[in-house]
Formats: sequence, structure tokens, C-alpha cells
Amino acid sequence: MTERPWWIAAGLAGWGAIVLWKAAELPQFDRYAGIGPGMFPSIVGGVLIVLGLMLAWQIHRGVRFEEQEAEDVAEGHAVSYRALGLAAAACALPMLTMKPLGFVVTCVGCFVLVAAAFKSRSHVLNAAIGLVFSLICWWLFRKLGVQLGGLLPIAEM
Amino acid sequence: MESLSGLMQGFGIALQPQNLLWCFVGTFMGTAIGVLPGIGPALTIALLLPVTVYIEPTAAFIMFAGIFYGAMYGGSTTSILLNTPGESGSMMTALEGNKMARKGRGAAALCTAAIGSFVAGTIGTVLLTFLAPPIAELAFYFRPPDYFALMLLAFLSVSVVMGTSKVRGFISLFIGLSLGVIGIDKAGGMQRVTFGVPDLMDGVEMTVVLVSLFAIGELLYVASRYGKQTPNLNPLAGGIWMTKEDWKRSWKPWLRGAGFGFPIGALPAGGAEIPTFLSYTVERKLTKHPEEFGHGAIEGVAGPEAANNAAAAGVLVPLLTLGLPTSATAAILLAAFQNYGLQPGPQLFINSGDLVWGLIASLYVGNLMLLVLNLPLAGLWVRLLFVPRPYLYAGILIFSLVGIWGVSNSWVDLAMMFGVGVLGYVMRVYDFPIAPVLIGLILGPMAEQQLRRALQAQQGDILALVSTPLSATLMAVALAVVVVPAALQWRRSRKIEPLP
Repeated sequence: MTERPWWIAAGLAGWGAIVLWKAAELPQFDRYAGIGPGMFPSIVGGVLIVLGLMLAWQIHRGVRFEEQEAEDVAEGHAVSYRALGLAAAACALPMLTMKPLGFVVTCVGCFVLVAAAFKSRSHVLNAAIGLVFSLICWWLFRKLGVQLGGLLPIAEM
Repeated sequence: MESLSGLMQGFGIALQPQNLLWCFVGTFMGTAIGVLPGIGPALTIALLLPVTVYIEPTAAFIMFAGIFYGAMYGGSTTSILLNTPGESGSMMTALEGNKMARKGRGAAALCTAAIGSFVAGTIGTVLLTFLAPPIAELAFYFRPPDYFALMLLAFLSVSVVMGTSKVRGFISLFIGLSLGVIGIDKAGGMQRVTFGVPDLMDGVEMTVVLVSLFAIGELLYVASRYGKQTPNLNPLAGGIWMTKEDWKRSWKPWLRGAGFGFPIGALPAGGAEIPTFLSYTVERKLTKHPEEFGHGAIEGVAGPEAANNAAAAGVLVPLLTLGLPTSATAAILLAAFQNYGLQPGPQLFINSGDLVWGLIASLYVGNLMLLVLNLPLAGLWVRLLFVPRPYLYAGILIFSLVGIWGVSNSWVDLAMMFGVGVLGYVMRVYDFPIAPVLIGLILGPMAEQQLRRALQAQQGDILALVSTPLSATLMAVALAVVVVPAALQWRRSRKIEPLP
């Protein structure tokens, strides 16, 4: 892969700049300790910018990025952006539904989306399995004392 | 002798029926979840972390001891049967182990891995028992500059050793450090990089980052590259037990593996990669059957697997005595301690003696339980490998949500889960090591605190950082960790470059 992912270097330097900018609002020095609350974040932000530049330089020189190995990943696979999109949607869904619709409904949605990302087409069956699994999880972890909220927050309001 | 009485006291706690039950639950769940494809030891512990939050500390850590060894063993099972090491420590196991499995000797490979893990884990735990108290006592003489130098050494060596490129290692580390500065500054009470979001004032929640980085990142990565191939394996043909010949060829590699694993694992820069690799190389040199290497030599499973487990016990030495995590798994265990408001380090042995010794005693018990559990249940674990992938990964997401939503019911955490998950995906695609992020996030705030304490004592004089002999030595070693490989590489590249 001779791809040149400039955006990683840019994103990294950008994040470094944000950290540096926020840190610059804080006192850098302290009368006794020498360094104030802003110094450490400033250094971290500054180094991130430098690392972003170093990465950009490496990318410019054509450094190779080999994908990591993982279980269930076949060698020489093609990347399916549809599956990636579905999986990403599953991970983003809780942001929208967790507060209004609660844990169980959210998990059923996530379950169906992830199963679809893994090329399972029987959505109704998946939803049923997801419902049973999330109900068990919700009930069990509530028993253990984990705060997962009500079954249907909207109905309780 | 102090160790012995401590250990006896620990066994007194660990052998209480209810704690034995927790240890069993931990070992069982650790193995079961560790066997599931896509889940290495670090993720296993991360996923089980929220479950233990509501159990009282001693029982929870007894359970963790079981999970710790169980997850390690589960990981080696997938390496051997599917050729898919869940973490770098079991890469060497997969090399010979999977060849054995393909030749129908999978059961013998699993067996030598299980017994080797037991032998090495027990040796490692014995050494831990007797080494940890003196080191913890020594650590009382550590002053802030010493701690800062030690953490700096851990930062640098983790970034240099892990992953393929130093730049990428440091990028991972500094991403972790930058996440670590978010929140209220502990010394001055000022908000840092919180963007005025109240949910960020307490800092970035460790569990959230860890679960997102491992589970969500892995989910996105595998989903996008998933082919519908079914694993072809026939693991349990060729008998369940090891033959007499197998035993004869295994016991020396077990002991040698433990000899490599523990000391290297206990070093701040240690980890499990180097000892497993060393063990494999040595076994390959010493074997009487060199022709079998590369085609399924049992020594090549026995040695590295023992080294891996001994290293895991070794990693607990700096973790318990100095509060210094040197692997992703150790970082997660440290997070577990912090969840209970406990800070590993010399104080822990005094303030929470029951807990520490209970934990250490449970390591013995868990190790034995693992052996008893795994030899007969190997067939059951193998079946877990066939869980349909759509349900497996969907289940992983739901478990992650339990962990993340259950921590504080915060929307920001859900957004962070998505963001950090995408980060984890990108890091996998472009080969950035993951462990340094966690080490930076966990050790960063501690290092800053020690740095400021060290400077405070000397009114801000920067030379305070090398004012003790130990800190000066550690600083020099830290510098060498970065400079020496860089210099070697520079010399090598100068030799190559003149060629057209």
C-alpha cells in the first residue's frame, strides 16, 4: 500500500494545536513549583504538533503502513465500506437513542446493525435475538448494581 | 519470612468458600471470553471490569486473578487452533502451535500450553511472592524525581519497543498523554482542555477509552474486512493427552521459558514479546529435532507459552510495588485498582495487605483451577470458536455499552466511545500500537504529579530531576533507550544509502 495518509498527520498536528491553544489559557509558571498547570499540556500539545510534522515527513518519504493482523481478518481481503458504515452507524446509534429510548431498545438497534455489517440478512431473527440478549444483560447487570437506566425512559417520563 | 506469613494470611482469605467461588467464576469467564475470537486478554479484562465494580474489593481482585490467567490461556487456545494471536505475547505460540493443530496434534499443543502455563505461572507467582515485598520496601526510599525518571523510562521504552516505528509509538503515547491532561488539574483545581463541558471535569474515563479503543476499534476493523470463511480446524484428532515423548520434550522448555519470562516481564521496559521471542529462538537452537521447527515442534509451543505466562506474573511486580503498568493488561489492572480508589505502590502492601496477599494467593489458586478446568474442558472451549460472527461482534458491542453507559450514564461518554472507536480503527489500519495510548493516559497524570513535586522541593530547579543517584541513572537509561537504537539505525542507513 503506497497510500499517503496526509490527513493523519494533519489531524494529529491539529489536535496538538487545540491542546496547545487550550493550555495557553492557563498559567504556565508557578512561584514555587516552577511549572504551572498549563506547562504539561503545553508540552504535550507542542510535541504532538512536532510528531505530526515528523509523520508528514515520513509520509512524504513514502513510509509504508501495514495493516495490523487481527482474528477473523482474512489475508488479502477487500475493504467493505458498506460494512464499515453499518458498523460505524451501530456505534453512533447510542448517541441518538440511549437517552430517549433507553438501553434495551438501543441495544436491539445496535445488534441488528452489527449483524448486518457482518453480512447476516435475517434482520427479524437478529432483532429477536438482540432483544433477548439485551434484556438479559439489562436485567443481570441491574441486579449487579450497574446503573443502566429504566426499560423505556420515554414511557416513564 | 514476612512474605510467608503474608502469603498464609492471603491463602486464608483466598480459600474462603465464597472467594474460591469468585476465583472460579473469574477463571471460567476469563477463559470463555478470552477464547472468543477477536478478544485478547486486555480486552477480556476491560469488558469484565464493569461487572466487578460493585463487588467488594478483595473478592473483585480475587476474581481478577482468575480472569487474568484465564484470559491468557484463552488467548493461547485461539492462537493454536486458529492461528490468530490475540496479542503479541502469543504470536510465537501460534507459529508452531497452529502447525501442530493442522497435523492433528492440536490437543497435545493445548496440553503442553496449559501445563507449561501452570508451571511457569506458578514459578512466576512464587518469585512475585518473595520479590514484591522487598521491592515495595525499597520503593519507600523512592522520591518524586526517582518516580518521574522511572515513568519517563516506561514511557520511552514502551513507545520504542512496541510497534513497528518509533514515531508511531510516540504518537500513540502522546495521544494518551493528551487525553490524560483533560479534566481538573489535581494540584491547582483549574480546568484543563475541558472545553467547558461539565462531564469532562473528572477527566476522561479510563474504562471508556479502553473499551472503545479495543472493542469498538476491533469491531469496526473486523467488520470492514470480514470474509465469510469458516475456520477449518480439526483440533482434537490425534488424542487428547500428551505422549511420554511430548512430556520429555516439554519440561525443559517450560522451565527455560519461565526463566526468560519473569525477569524480563518485571523490568519497566519488559513486556511479553521479548521473552517469548527469546524462548522460541533458544528452543530452536537447543532442540534435538531441528527439522520439526516450522512444521509443528512441541518445544516451540511449550517454551514461548511458559515465557508468556511467567512474563505476565513478572509484569505484576512493577505494577503492585511501584504502581507502574508496563503492558496493556497491566494498565487495565491499574485502572481497576483506581476504580476502587486504591493506588498500587508501596503503601498498598501496608494499607491493604489483605487485598494484596489475597490477590497473590488467588494467583496460585487460579493457576491450579485453570489447569483443572482446562484439561477436561478443552473440547467445550473449542466449540466457542464457532459462535456465529454476527452475533459475537454484536454481543461485544452490547457488553461495551454496558461498560460505557453503566459508568456514569453520560452522553459525552457515548460520543467518546464513537470517537475513540474510530481512532482505534484508524490505528489498526495504519499500524499504530495501541498499548502506549493506555500507558500515556494512565501514567501521564501520575508522572506530571511527580514532576511537579520534584520541582517544588527544589523551588523549580530543573536539576532536581537528576538530584538522586537513582533518578540520574534512570534518566541516563531512558536517554539510552531512545538514542542507542536511533544511532544504530542511522549508522545502518548510512551504510546502505551510498548504493545507487
